[in-house]
Amino acid sequence: MIQFILMVNKQGQTRLSSYYSWLSMSERVALESEIIRKCLSRSELQCSFLEFRGYRITYRRYASLFFIVGTDGEEENELGMLEFIHTLVETLDKYFESVCELDIMFNLEKAHFILDEMVMNGMIVETNKGNILRPMALLARESGKDESIFK
Amino acid sequence: MSGSHLSKDFFGLVKSIGESKSKQEEDRIIRNEVATLKKTLSERVGGDKKKVDKKKLKEFLVRMMYVEMLGHDGSFGYIKAVELAAATSIIHKRTGYLTCGAVLSPDHEFRFMLINQLQRDLASSNILEVCAALAGVVRLITGDMVATVVNDVGKLLTHQSDLVRKKAIIALHRLHQLDQSNISAEDLTVKLRRVLCDRDPSVMGASLCVIEKMTLKNPLPFKDLVPSLVSILKQIIEHRLPSEFDYHRLPAPWLQMKLIRILAILGKGDKSSSEGMYAILADTIKRADTGINAGFAVVYEVVKCVTTIYPNPQLLDGAANAISRFMESNNHNLKYLGVTGLSRIVKEHPKYAAQHQMAVVECLGDPDETLQRKTLELLFEMCNPVNVEFIATKLLAFLKDTNDDFLRRQLTERIAIISERYAPTQSWYIGTIIALFAIPGAGDLVDPSIAQNLMALLAEGSGEDDADEDAAMRIAACATFLDLMDSPQMTPVLLQAMAWSLGEYAYLLEGTVELGEVCGKLCKLARWPVVDMTSRRYLVNAVFKLVAQLGTCPGSAAHLIDDFTLSRDPILQQSCCEFQNLITTSNHILPSVFPVDASCEDVGADESLSIMDTYVSSAVAAGANVYSPPSDSDSEDEGGSGGDRDSKKPVFNMTPYEKPPANPHQAIMANISSSGSGVSSGTGSTSGGEQGGLGGGDEVGRQSEVGLRLSGVANVWGPDMTVKKTEPIRQQQKVTQQQPKDEGITSVTKVQEVQQKVEVKDDPGPQPLTEKEKMAMALFGGISGGTERKGENGKEFHRPNGGRKVGKTKAPPVAAPEPRQNEKTGGAEGGGGGGGMDLLDMTFTSTSEAPVVAATTGGEGGGGTTQGTGGDLLLDPFGMGGGGDDYGKGPFKYNGIQVLPLDIDTAGFGGRWGGLKGTVKLAVPNLGKRGFEGVKEFAKVAGLKVVECIEATKECILAGGGGGGEIWLVHCKIGGGGGEVEMQVKTERVEEGEAFKVWAGRNWV
Repeated sequence: MIQFILMVNKQGQTRLSSYYSWLSMSERVALESEIIRKCLSRSELQCSFLEFRGYRITYRRYASLFFIVGTDGEEENELGMLEFIHTLVETLDKYFESVCELDIMFNLEKAHFILDEMVMNGMIVETNKGNILRPMALLARESGKDESIFK
Repeated sequence: MSGSHLSKDFFGLVKSIGESKSKQEEDRIIRNEVATLKKTLSERVGGDKKKVDKKKLKEFLVRMMYVEMLGHDGSFGYIKAVELAAATSIIHKRTGYLTCGAVLSPDHEFRFMLINQLQRDLASSNILEVCAALAGVVRLITGDMVATVVNDVGKLLTHQSDLVRKKAIIALHRLHQLDQSNISAEDLTVKLRRVLCDRDPSVMGASLCVIEKMTLKNPLPFKDLVPSLVSILKQIIEHRLPSEFDYHRLPAPWLQMKLIRILAILGKGDKSSSEGMYAILADTIKRADTGINAGFAVVYEVVKCVTTIYPNPQLLDGAANAISRFMESNNHNLKYLGVTGLSRIVKEHPKYAAQHQMAVVECLGDPDETLQRKTLELLFEMCNPVNVEFIATKLLAFLKDTNDDFLRRQLTERIAIISERYAPTQSWYIGTIIALFAIPGAGDLVDPSIAQNLMALLAEGSGEDDADEDAAMRIAACATFLDLMDSPQMTPVLLQAMAWSLGEYAYLLEGTVELGEVCGKLCKLARWPVVDMTSRRYLVNAVFKLVAQLGTCPGSAAHLIDDFTLSRDPILQQSCCEFQNLITTSNHILPSVFPVDASCEDVGADESLSIMDTYVSSAVAAGANVYSPPSDSDSEDEGGSGGDRDSKKPVFNMTPYEKPPANPHQAIMANISSSGSGVSSGTGSTSGGEQGGLGGGDEVGRQSEVGLRLSGVANVWGPDMTVKKTEPIRQQQKVTQQQPKDEGITSVTKVQEVQQKVEVKDDPGPQPLTEKEKMAMALFGGISGGTERKGENGKEFHRPNGGRKVGKTKAPPVAAPEPRQNEKTGGAEGGGGGGGMDLLDMTFTSTSEAPVVAATTGGEGGGGTTQGTGGDLLLDPFGMGGGGDDYGKGPFKYNGIQVLPLDIDTAGFGGRWGGLKGTVKLAVPNLGKRGFEGVKEFAKVAGLKVVECIEATKECILAGGGGGGEIWLVHCKIGGGGGEVEMQVKTERVEEGEAFKVWAGRNWV
């Protein structure tokens, strides 16, 4: 299953992290910094997978931002995971209209909501962009209503 | 989207984090932020709570998430997250749950505060609230909270919205993972089946996730789903799903992958299920091959599936094709898939590896570490007796270089496994294992039994009569150890093996190095402060032996022994005191106390201690009490007066005493204390130690009890020897190792040449080879379809008798139902003639129940391996008389139905063997043929399948099945110089075995 999904920029700064098994904060910080160091040390030509502390890491770089997925166990399909990262990015792109690092930073919770639609309990549950974004649109409409009432 | 709707504070925070250039700067920003947040919080608490602005609060939580995400403690604000989960606005509520899930540890008490809210939201009429709560359930519920929500979640499975149903099934599975008493696997399975038929594809997809996890735990309840899953997959690949599910025009690739994964789990080892999916898999792989990554991912998934399920030749060829294309690709990701796919397929079907020789060699040298690692895994999978030297060298080199503990552990294990399984010669094995021991950081990870086996192998030699061979092997080992003595870092396991080997066999190096010098070095090592106590005992023990051989005690040794008489370790202290006493008072008996090269000799024992008789009788006459041995029984009050014991002669009784911990001093102390009469002991080796291994055979009857008890004790080198019965399979391999390998083997100097050898051994063929080609040849030797030049390598493995070449071991394993087993056989064969590969691992399992089997790995070839029971085997086969129709001439029939070959592989055979109650032994002549031809002929006539033949040990297993479900498993061993086959037949009922025996007596004399 998926153990964690990270977005880390090339300075090693975490932009989003979602863990599907509990790790203490110190473990998370150490894990993130070591993984990004490993990713950064690899060239474009090398493959997008690595093994680290028993995790299988799949990563993909978009401009300055690394999308990193860590899985455990034998069953996950590495290339499938790589393409999943791309779907995630395409979905974010569709939602934010050409996404960039700052979009995610300013809308951290929304990025999380999108991710939560796609991955639950460490499993990929939805890859259909329409299905992912439908609840997001509902959410926006409802909160729009709220704001009109209170403001 | 811009940040215009955000407050100035938040905007400032994001901007400054975004602009920070270093971790330090970021930390400073966050520290400031923490201070700001705390201040806001206290202001708010002080102010009017009613007017708390939820929007501000939401922003506060997002800022707190930043604090936590960047590694700072935000616990001051957790309570606010719980508070926000109760907000009326959905976006606030969801942020509240999100933050709680991200920051609250599983044992955090705030989680309990959320239960009420979760329950309320699960029952809400707003689907977004329900969804938020379901996401919260997955993240926040812990084991003891399951009961509070499980019913609510269960109800949502039939909710009208697909969004809710999809999340509900995942949440329910999560609850099942946490607490199975509230939602059992059966419950969940029933519900899953309903959800699988959901009209909405994404709900169905979610149920597939859960089904996959559940089948991994137990595939049985889902076996009947194969046709449904196949039809779902068919619909998907035929584009019947809405185009929204397409990804780059490939229909729902993740759903496809998930379905294929489930099919793989369900089809594993299940022929009928597998047959149901062959067609769809072939179709899927064809349609997925569209040249995009997602398509390749599906293809790879099919490859994994095809190698997992019951094999189908066409699909395997298709998979091999796909792997070839991956391997040849320039894209590293695809190459990675190729290498992992290849290591999956070669496990069972080594023939497919051959065409990728160069590609594999290239991957091995690739700068990409991931690819290298995967290639190492591939090497491990494709290891065989011919390429083992090359592969072990490679693995050792990687082991030396790596810093990753995980990889180090894995490599250590694997090197030990392949060198045990496939070692071509003993010298090579010893060299490899010593090299493994010597690697800092790896030696500690080695299973201690490997060291014991190494020493056992050195002690026992090849088991053949080739003394030179054994001596050469020992010299090589000692020389290697001697070289290593000066290295600064030594692992305990290396020290112990080194101390023992030098103590026993350093004298063989006479001429190149003085014994005194060796002794001095050992003394120095023994004084090292970092040496652990067990190793120190080994070292001191080695010093004793050398002193005994030298005849004089060098100063360094005398000092050492003197110092250690004051050691804090009682065992060390005792042995030093004893030795000191011996050397000062009765120097002349030292050589008999520490005999040279006698670790395999049985120590003769006079259990009755008759030499004491005169002394005892005179003492009794003088009024001393007669010794009454303590009782064996556990209960104290019964002790002391065991009736039959009283009648025994007043002698020392060895039996009742607890077995002392086995250690190197055991034997010595035993020797010292009984100098003269000695103590009964097994040979101390695992082979034959328990059976027939007892001394000269003149100690009979009741002594066998003593012998069994002591069999572990006298393991001079074996603290663990007695413990191992728990792991028969591994043991079996070990036995192989301890045993002699080959008669006609290479010179011993090879040990240190492993490295060079790889380069050297492929003599230039007709055309010159590049470095890489040489590597490829070394690597792919022994794999069918590989280069045919292996003959050159092969000559090392020639065995004098039978004249079989290694070439034979290459016999394509494809045809066999269980190629892997086949390969193993190859291992034994290539490994060399004398190898004690014991098919059924009888050495250990049989000691109690079936003492007969020719498991004794000891002196194969030397006739009558099964001493002591040979008599039984020669029972007149006609003695059984009573011939019905079944017993007449012609093929073997039982109850009038002809017995047919039973389709079973070695693993299956081994699995059934232990469960069959009836055991019958017989011996038939090998009809003038010394090899297996006679046995095969026998099997053919009898209607049995030849499951496997092991050349090395001259063993063979046959299997047949009757019309009424009876089965006959036959284990044959060619003994008596090849003229006779000893058989052990296992059947459900003993009559079936007897019938077989009678038949054999009629038909095969």
